[in-house]
Amino acid sequence: MKPARRFARLSGLLIAALVAGSVLVGCSSSSASIIVSDPWARASSAMASAGAAYLKIENTGSGADALIGVSSPAATTVEVHETVAMGSPAPGASGDGGMMGMQPIARLEIPAGGSVELKPGSYHIMLIGLKQDLKVGDSIEITLKFEKVGEIKVTAAVRES
Amino acid sequence: MPSRSLQPGPWPGWLTPALVATVLLAACSGTAGSAPTATAWAPVATTPALGERVTAYDPARPAPALRLTDQDGRPFDLASFRGRPVLVYFGYTHCPDICPTTLADIRAALRLVDVPVGVVFVTVDPARDDAAAMKRYVDYYASGFTGLTGNKAEIAAAADAWGVSYRRLESTPAAGYAMAHSTETYLLDAAGMLRHHLFFGAGPELIAERIREIAG
Repeated sequence: MKPARRFARLSGLLIAALVAGSVLVGCSSSSASIIVSDPWARASSAMASAGAAYLKIENTGSGADALIGVSSPAATTVEVHETVAMGSPAPGASGDGGMMGMQPIARLEIPAGGSVELKPGSYHIMLIGLKQDLKVGDSIEITLKFEKVGEIKVTAAVRES
Repeated sequence: MPSRSLQPGPWPGWLTPALVATVLLAACSGTAGSAPTATAWAPVATTPALGERVTAYDPARPAPALRLTDQDGRPFDLASFRGRPVLVYFGYTHCPDICPTTLADIRAALRLVDVPVGVVFVTVDPARDDAAAMKRYVDYYASGFTGLTGNKAEIAAAADAWGVSYRRLESTPAAGYAMAHSTETYLLDAAGMLRHHLFFGAGPELIAERIREIAG
């Protein structure tokens, strides 16, 4: 998959006073640079209530950015959720392990120089109200909206896993 | 029904130094203060602990009974699967991430072994997962798997017997509600004895290895 890339430049001057030393530090600008790679969606039936898509977001810029919205023509509503551990896991002989649940993520920060992977068991794009079956070999368009760099459109291949 | 309460996590120890560092660095807008990576609705633990990917029952113990309704609306008794290894997994059909991932891993594992294996997917969401919903789901994601449902009390009793926890979680208006649930897959041998449970993320190779081990 070809990575999509977009730059955005932040203008503005921020001056802050240090508590410990009375030094003023000023910065003229910082910019986020976002690369989205390896997008894929899990094959699912439109009868299923929700599909999932995954991808990797890398920020090679000097400023943080954040994923604040996702849309796709393949689904009525698209949201980012995170699969999280709930309750204490008990990796012992007992079968009473911890639970996993999901929480919606309204804003996913991508730190400067960092990356966030949306992958099974972690952050995922939830495709709610699929408009068609997602079949292996198909692809769907996903538009990611970032706070700083704006929209990035990617094409996600449909795979089994 | 076993349930666990959801407690807000404590203020992370690293956060205070991080905030202090942010102030001290007096960095540009957006370049620092990036320690929290996500804004979520509910304060919960953010890192799923995989622990060991597989745990053996030593000694093996008889699996709890499992008598529910299958995807064709017929009564099902797990005892009918004696004579072959069986994988048992509790989940729900509206589950977009964990359950399809686990079922895909199981499907891939079964392609790596040459013994017949029974696979049973039990819903923890009987309010939405009636037999018809289970049929649509297993037909699509898991052809050949058995999907089980029941009434609320039957599901609660089955989960309790197997040590499975679950709880309804309110989500967004579009997503409706989700279910938090235990995500282990149980592996039974041909005699109906519990031999292993495999944690989420075990992966096809490890699942296949354990099936071969108990089938051999």
